[in-house]
Amino acid sequence: MATKRKVAKRPAAVRRHKRAARAAQSRKGGVKSGAAGRIRAMAQTPLAVCESDRKLQETLTTLRDQTQASSVRRAALQMLQAASFSTIAFEPCRGDYVAALRAVVDDPDAELRERALGILAREKDGFAQKKLLDGLQNPDKALVAPEKALQLLANDVHAEGYAIARAMVKNPPNPDAKREALRLLAADATAAPLFESVLRDKDELREIRQVAASALQALRPEKMRAHAREMLMDKSEYDDIQATSLTALTHFGGEAVAQDDALMKSVDRLSGAPSAKVKQSARRFLQKYGR
Amino acid sequence: MKVELQINNSANTNARYVTWAPSPCRIRVTDPSGVTTPTVAVQITSNSAPSAGAVVFRSGATGAFANSLTLQVPINGNSVPFFVAGKFGRPSVNDGDITVEARSGTTLVGSVKLMVRIRKNANSLSTAERDRFVAAFAQLNNQGTGRFADFRDMHVAISLPQAHGAAGFLPWHRAYLLDLERELQALDGSIALPYWRFDQAAPNIFTRDFFGVANATGTVQFSATNPLQFWRTDGVPGISRRPLFTTSSAPPGLRNESQTLALGNQYRNFRTMEGNPHGSAHVSFDGWIDDPATAPKDPLFFLLHCNVDRLWAKWQRQFSRFNPAVAASYDSNPSNRPGHNLPDTMWPWNGVTGGTRPPTAPGGTLASSPVATAPGPQPQVQSCLDFQGTLNAASRMGFDYDDVPFG
Repeated sequence: MATKRKVAKRPAAVRRHKRAARAAQSRKGGVKSGAAGRIRAMAQTPLAVCESDRKLQETLTTLRDQTQASSVRRAALQMLQAASFSTIAFEPCRGDYVAALRAVVDDPDAELRERALGILAREKDGFAQKKLLDGLQNPDKALVAPEKALQLLANDVHAEGYAIARAMVKNPPNPDAKREALRLLAADATAAPLFESVLRDKDELREIRQVAASALQALRPEKMRAHAREMLMDKSEYDDIQATSLTALTHFGGEAVAQDDALMKSVDRLSGAPSAKVKQSARRFLQKYGR
Repeated sequence: MKVELQINNSANTNARYVTWAPSPCRIRVTDPSGVTTPTVAVQITSNSAPSAGAVVFRSGATGAFANSLTLQVPINGNSVPFFVAGKFGRPSVNDGDITVEARSGTTLVGSVKLMVRIRKNANSLSTAERDRFVAAFAQLNNQGTGRFADFRDMHVAISLPQAHGAAGFLPWHRAYLLDLERELQALDGSIALPYWRFDQAAPNIFTRDFFGVANATGTVQFSATNPLQFWRTDGVPGISRRPLFTTSSAPPGLRNESQTLALGNQYRNFRTMEGNPHGSAHVSFDGWIDDPATAPKDPLFFLLHCNVDRLWAKWQRQFSRFNPAVAASYDSNPSNRPGHNLPDTMWPWNGVTGGTRPPTAPGGTLASSPVATAPGPQPQVQSCLDFQGTLNAASRMGFDYDDVPFG
């Protein structure tokens, strides 16, 4: 199994803003006692932002203000996020909130940038989606690592997303990006053959093969069953892949699995396997199918 | 002689679950062979291992509970009512881990196995409880094709005003959790929704065998034996969730239980817990759970909200706030949106669409239960307050928490 991991190239925005971030941190000198008090206050009463426009604007300003300590800005973001759950009360604040989030997607603070992009992407925000796609197509414009961009784009998959994900699977900058590209493609019914080949590739990382198993089980369960049968009989197959296959068949296999005698025999043999997880999975399988 | 014991007044084996609230039961003679008198004295007791659940009995709707009960049962087949309740502090661990026995003299004349099915702290579940829960939840999701999709669709951007930011926040989520729990119970009767006590360390929840461990990208990783590895929502597999705290401790900045219960004895004050700890617990992660529109895509959502509901249940008990007729029990107001006043029915279970309601109502009516009839298929806000049936036995909703006694 391939375990060596390439180090992802640092996103351009990080490089671009590194100096500015250092300067901001230097100016603020990290979390001071006053900052800790502000953080505590913001955490205690998140709904305060819904109570007055002054409080809302103050919190949004803190979020955007690169001269503030990172911890204070992150606390401001969390305060706004927590308040956003109180949807009716928060509704009048939403426009300003989204504008502030968009303003910090290219912030020097990588954590803040990633979280703002995450919130926007989960809300299917077109501005954020475009930024993420641009970064994948042109790494100099990347605001986050490619795997993060793919993960966030999976919140609202479009054809454009599939194309870039396929390109990433073919030529991944790192294994994490490949895994996230496969996750994104799992919504694409035409990707089943790709998942079959990844699943059967013993040189792939386990977690990547696990994603392939999950995707294939959902897209083409009969194909997954066929591969699982072979993998369970393959003595050179990895324990965790066998356990994953058994787990898929146990919980989602259906009637076709119950009637598959060859499969039952293979699993019966595995119920005495030396690997604890294979043994456990095999026993659950046999229990489920009454053998 | 033989008798039949009916738990929750039902011969259905799926009704053999009780909580701390008294369950109505009945006993009748089905075979009077050997009995010559019009009635026969039958003693009802229970048997269980020390680590298993335990129950207590009483003959009427009121009065003290006891470990055994003697009833005069007519041999003509007419039923005699009695009540069974879980013994507080002794919830079951496994399905049917208690045997209720009926004896005439020393002769065993009938028995049933039952379970004290209680919502517990997820951090303290046994391995078997955890695995059953995870298996049922994964099955309900069924890789994105199962009934769970309705629950995901109930809590999306357009429907949030039905459930958030107003008085109905707590009742709506109580009904939502109960609906989901009943669907899980239809798959495995032993399941009770566990809660994530977010003001305490809960390292056992954030493991690969339970709710998973985030990798550096914030995608949750599961063990090869955990069926949640096949979780899928909105067409995409996996779960996006990165804790912003160390999972060996509690998230910082959240009101703890005492502080939450001290928000005041008026519901309008208590419901500000929607911000902190509820909202704060959600945003202690980066991922689906930190956004109201995507939060239920993460199954952890339901454990978080189970704790929110537990806190409400504790508050209700502390201040006797079960009665909708008591103003302090709720926060009705003519300016509230539909769905947030006591007599209102709640979307989506009421099936009402358009106008102030969302354009669709996914999932149909609220799931029924062989254990309890409340809150009914189209619950009103007010039917979610007396969840134990403290004021009216018919209001009992069929769930309880391990640290909230009856009444």
